[in-house]
Amino acid sequence: MRIWMSAALTGAALTLAVAPAEAAWKSYINRELGFSFRAPGEIKSDIGTFRGAVAGPRETIIYKSMDNNIEYKVTVMSFLQAQAEGATILGEREYMFQEGKKVLADTFGRVEPGKDAVYGRKIIAELPDHKGRTTAAFYFTKGKLIMLEATVLPANGDFGSPDPALFVDSIAFVLSRTEPDAIELATPKLE
Amino acid sequence: MRLTALAILLGAALTTSPAAAAWHGYISHPLGFAFAAPGELKIEKGTYRGAVAGERPTLTYRFFENSIEYKAVVIDMTDIANDSATLLGEAEYLFQDNKKPRMDVFGRVDRQYGRKLTVDLPNNGGRMSGAFYFINGRIISLQATVLPQNGDYDTPQMARFVDSLTFFTVRAADDAIELPQAPK
Repeated sequence: MRIWMSAALTGAALTLAVAPAEAAWKSYINRELGFSFRAPGEIKSDIGTFRGAVAGPRETIIYKSMDNNIEYKVTVMSFLQAQAEGATILGEREYMFQEGKKVLADTFGRVEPGKDAVYGRKIIAELPDHKGRTTAAFYFTKGKLIMLEATVLPANGDFGSPDPALFVDSIAFVLSRTEPDAIELATPKLE
Repeated sequence: MRLTALAILLGAALTTSPAAAAWHGYISHPLGFAFAAPGELKIEKGTYRGAVAGERPTLTYRFFENSIEYKAVVIDMTDIANDSATLLGEAEYLFQDNKKPRMDVFGRVDRQYGRKLTVDLPNNGGRMSGAFYFINGRIISLQATVLPQNGDYDTPQMARFVDSLTFFTVRAADDAIELPQAPK
């Protein structure tokens, strides 16, 4: 009996040691940019670039983390002077995201209820050359295009993981909905 | 022989389908769009309601031909145009709400991105195709509905209508008819 219990405990300990430790999910908020989200792992900020035929060249603000071979990324672009073009700018970004990829789902996205609603889209696409699967959500509100992407890399392999949906669905624009202990994100300075 | 020929001619005359009306080009220079449609033009004013949009005035150019209804709907959002992405998304969402979606794809016309949707209406009410774009502070939506009396739900006429939309005046038909302004 003792031997059997000892073997069971050892097995359990080995299983825990072998499975990759999953980082805790935390809530993040950027009051200046007007959104919050939840993600696992350590969030790093960065600055990138984007170019669209309608949007033109843009600097982007990026928040990203990596956990268990899933890459989580939030990208923000400002279009304060072209807010009335938001519908087309958003459509172009969505179109560019799925171009050249195999689209698995393309559905309405809606964050917040009633008159506070922000409509966008959620798209799941397989990356070319078996590079993984990306779940993305796109919204344009208050002059900013906000895109959330979670990419399950082949090293993870669990393309049906619920974590990408958990990430993209965690976006909030009504900040009173955000957890009070959310971590404040600084806004990187653009050139 | 004469009797046979007469019978054939009579039969052909009786089985002839309703004459399809010619398609005409239409253009609105003030609203900045053009399209093509068959049948007689009627103009209606109405109201659009959405949780985000609130109550907005609409102007509808309506045509009816061979049990297919063609509508070009203009929703004025000029004073809230900064929320264009959500307003367009809401209009698309409401279009397909409580209907059976059959298609939902990107639409792209003359630099404008939008969406094209096809839905089946409830209670075998027909099939509807719609295209939605936001331009110059307005939602422009072309919608074609094949009614059960027509029954040919795969007719290319729906696509012909919604795909005839253009926002570049140079692409409008040379003989396009100027659309009247809204009735007072």
